[in-house]
Amino acid sequence: MATTHTYDALVIGAGGAGMRAAIELSDQVRTAVISKLYPTRSHTGAAQGGVCAALGNTEEDHAEWHAFDTVKGGDYLTDQPAAQLMAEEAIDAIYQLERWGLPFNRTPDGRIDQRRFGGHTAEHGERPVRRACYAADRTGHMILQTLYQQCVKRDVRFFNEFYCLDLLRDAHGAATGVVAYELATGELHIFRAKSIVFATGGYGRMFSVTSNAHALTGDGPAVAWRRGVPLEDMEMFQFHPTGLAKLGVLLSEAARGEGGIVRNKDGERFMERYAPTIKDLAPRDMVSRAIYQEIKEGRGGGPNGDWAYLDITHLDPKVIEEKLPDITEFARVYLKVEPTNELVPIQPTAHYAMGGIPTDVDGRVVEGAAETPIPGLYAAGECACVSVHGANRLGTNSLLDLVVFGRRAGVDAARHVKEAPLGDVPERPTERTLSMLNAVLERAEGENAADIRKELQANMFDLAFVVRSEESLSKMETIIGELQERFGRVAISDKGALYNTDLMETVELGFLLDCAQALVVSARARTESRGGHYRDDHPLRDDANWLKHTLASRNDDGSISLDFKPVKMGPYVPMERKY
Amino acid sequence: MATTIERSTTSGDGAPRPPRDYTRGSERPVGGFELWMWLFMRISGIVLLVLALGHTLIMHLPSGGVDRVDFGFVATRWASPFWRSWDWMLLTLALIHGINGLRNITLDYVRKPGTRFAANMVFYVLGFTLFVLGTIIVVTFDPSNWPPVA
Amino acid sequence: MATPADVLQDSDARRAGGAAGAVTLTLRIRRFNPEISQDSWWDEFTVEADPLDRLVEVLHQVKWYHDGTLSFRRSCAHGICGSDAMLINGRNALACKVLVDDVGPRVTIEPIRGLAVLKDLIVDMDPFLEGYRTVLPFLINDSGEPDKERLQSAEERARFDDTTKCILCAACTTSCPIFWGDEGYIGPAAIVNAHRFIFDSRDEGSRERLKILSEKTGVFRCRTTFNCTDACPRGIQVTKAIQEVKRSILFDRF
Repeated sequence: MATTHTYDALVIGAGGAGMRAAIELSDQVRTAVISKLYPTRSHTGAAQGGVCAALGNTEEDHAEWHAFDTVKGGDYLTDQPAAQLMAEEAIDAIYQLERWGLPFNRTPDGRIDQRRFGGHTAEHGERPVRRACYAADRTGHMILQTLYQQCVKRDVRFFNEFYCLDLLRDAHGAATGVVAYELATGELHIFRAKSIVFATGGYGRMFSVTSNAHALTGDGPAVAWRRGVPLEDMEMFQFHPTGLAKLGVLLSEAARGEGGIVRNKDGERFMERYAPTIKDLAPRDMVSRAIYQEIKEGRGGGPNGDWAYLDITHLDPKVIEEKLPDITEFARVYLKVEPTNELVPIQPTAHYAMGGIPTDVDGRVVEGAAETPIPGLYAAGECACVSVHGANRLGTNSLLDLVVFGRRAGVDAARHVKEAPLGDVPERPTERTLSMLNAVLERAEGENAADIRKELQANMFDLAFVVRSEESLSKMETIIGELQERFGRVAISDKGALYNTDLMETVELGFLLDCAQALVVSARARTESRGGHYRDDHPLRDDANWLKHTLASRNDDGSISLDFKPVKMGPYVPMERKY
Repeated sequence: MATTIERSTTSGDGAPRPPRDYTRGSERPVGGFELWMWLFMRISGIVLLVLALGHTLIMHLPSGGVDRVDFGFVATRWASPFWRSWDWMLLTLALIHGINGLRNITLDYVRKPGTRFAANMVFYVLGFTLFVLGTIIVVTFDPSNWPPVA
Repeated sequence: MATPADVLQDSDARRAGGAAGAVTLTLRIRRFNPEISQDSWWDEFTVEADPLDRLVEVLHQVKWYHDGTLSFRRSCAHGICGSDAMLINGRNALACKVLVDDVGPRVTIEPIRGLAVLKDLIVDMDPFLEGYRTVLPFLINDSGEPDKERLQSAEERARFDDTTKCILCAACTTSCPIFWGDEGYIGPAAIVNAHRFIFDSRDEGSRERLKILSEKTGVFRCRTTFNCTDACPRGIQVTKAIQEVKRSILFDRF
């Protein structure tokens, strides 16, 4: 018999967005946070570069310039009012973090220091501007710790190592609860609440080379998808150019910001050919495509010819130790390469999901082109799509997204708690979850989930990565279909109730397959190239037909429907994306 | 099966709490018994280095070594208040330093509170007894009245 | 003069040479599952791995292809989240920062000590987090909030920089012999996190924290064994931080 817990509000996921929402909520209503990890393990902690806001502490800056950069950086798929809002609220969001104790680096006069970062400019692109606030090269870690500290201060109720496996909706479609699996005991729990905020992060683990943690398996989007919620702009995935070869571990953009150069196997600085003006500081998607091209033309290094190299050997060793200590350590520890006098092998790595659960600027999940809100359901952070990043995210905008929209979702969720009654959960709420789990547990023999996962990851890397085409995507769609069919026959060896990570990894694979399916279907539909979505059969941007967001949803019979909604325009007219 | 209350990391029930005042305790001084003992161990340790090493050297090094330590030797030494004080300081500091050390070891390794209490009591009683005996001797020793007549 | 291409040839050749042969690694893992037995037992697995493979990925190989019941915590796999602290060849380390090459042809893996083992390499983190919570690990400053940021100089910022690095992996606390003896001792990690606030110029709650740290379960239990400093995967000078807190208490009182 599953235990039922009733709260006013639930937050699913305890990363930056989740904890920011929880802080906002727990000051006003009875809140619980459900996380499959302990909060400080969340991947927000891996972010390095910084969090941006137009504070103007070191040079003149305006929120309006920030909004423009976000829109242009998103290749004009960004909803402009949302970008404007985020840029304006950024300022107080940063000050709030500092007031809570975040140890930002400081200017000589004691104010929060800011540095340059890719894509952030003054006067709409005239020159780079110092907008990124940072804490050494551990900004994400500091944000995660600071938010957790504020949760400890408020004695926020955490349910750690509880996996959210299903969303419960009442007869009117409102979100009224979730079903969660307690890893420690194998028991199912029903959580009822008036407001539910999803903040579960991304789904980079569908690719074999990714900067994402193993835990990032698209749980929130998949759970919502399975209950009829559409997913927006799933094809938009960011491939960061400088990940450690084979491992995918991120080497921050700050390396290129400090003067690092990307080279091919002949030692050539090939970005001179692809972006003659700003060369290695071109936007991430452009550099990734350039690396891809070099590899395709046979100038990739490494045993399989699929590496490029990051060269920081010409930088002052002091600069390297002070400003790039983490990436130096990664290169030394994981590849046994000494970056001060050797080139570091790199590969584009699957880094960030611009798409996800569609929301409005208050974090409310909305359905369809008409953007009808689903009462009680919210989403924030990487799992949500406001859309504030469009087709490509600028560096430092993600940590900002977490705190701005995490807060806004918390605020509106609290308002909803005060106005709405507690909804009913369906009869037999754990039925679907139980049958999913028991099907796997009771199977004596079958497919190995690890094999299916590896094939998904390898094929997504080959067919749906930096460069795509109708041929590669339709092949991928077929493969996903086969993998899903095989997934239905997975058996595991751990049949126990305690800490059955075997079972949970299998469930997570199911989520990944769903997210991959949504991604590939949406990518096939979008017959243009924009931001992180590049197709060599449609290499140009097509504003006449494609200034719209894709909305994919799964019907009851398993087929996928596609809908679209227009991009919310504003003062910025789409221009060619030159830097 | 373990309940969820044990597995979670907070004791709250999720309800909003009013802000607490974290400065209310600032009138009481920081530190306390543990601080004193920590400081005492370090200072007495240095002093004991001199007292105990000195004592050992005096007993063993000059020609004759410990063989020359007899009643007369002690009587001569303890004619001077300086040596009596030295020896009393050695007694007191070594006992407190040692007993506190035992208290710390007990705190580190003995789990059950009852056993810890018992062990500590044994140490304190032992220590106190030795202190009393030693003090009596150092203070009342009179070579012309030995053994002291009751 | 060597061109970038030459430098590449050398380093690639070296790496390719080193990784040319997969190596055979034998893992000896301490297992525990109360659903099966109240005693722990040892399992041995032999796998083929690349010398540059992270131990956490080798553990995945064991789990996915040899024994699915092997359970362990992990997430980021590059030394940031702190999920996979384990006892590897007798020393605390993060499994994602140890390479096959570092541990030779045989490696022994056990759960970290001092915390109750729940299953295989998963331990009960709650006493550890309880210790963390008791030191009031959040900024305390009730003297009015400024509109913008509180000012802090670069020197003031540098004063507590080291202890901001803590990822709460528990490697330090579970390598401390005092903690092994008594899990009521708040442990190095809690003290490090207290240090982070005590020495932050914007914080005003030092008094309260120092009082908590002066208790029997606090800093004075530290015997400067230095295991914590050795174990910290972030390179924090833990014993030094603990010593600075002791001195803070001393100088505050006198």
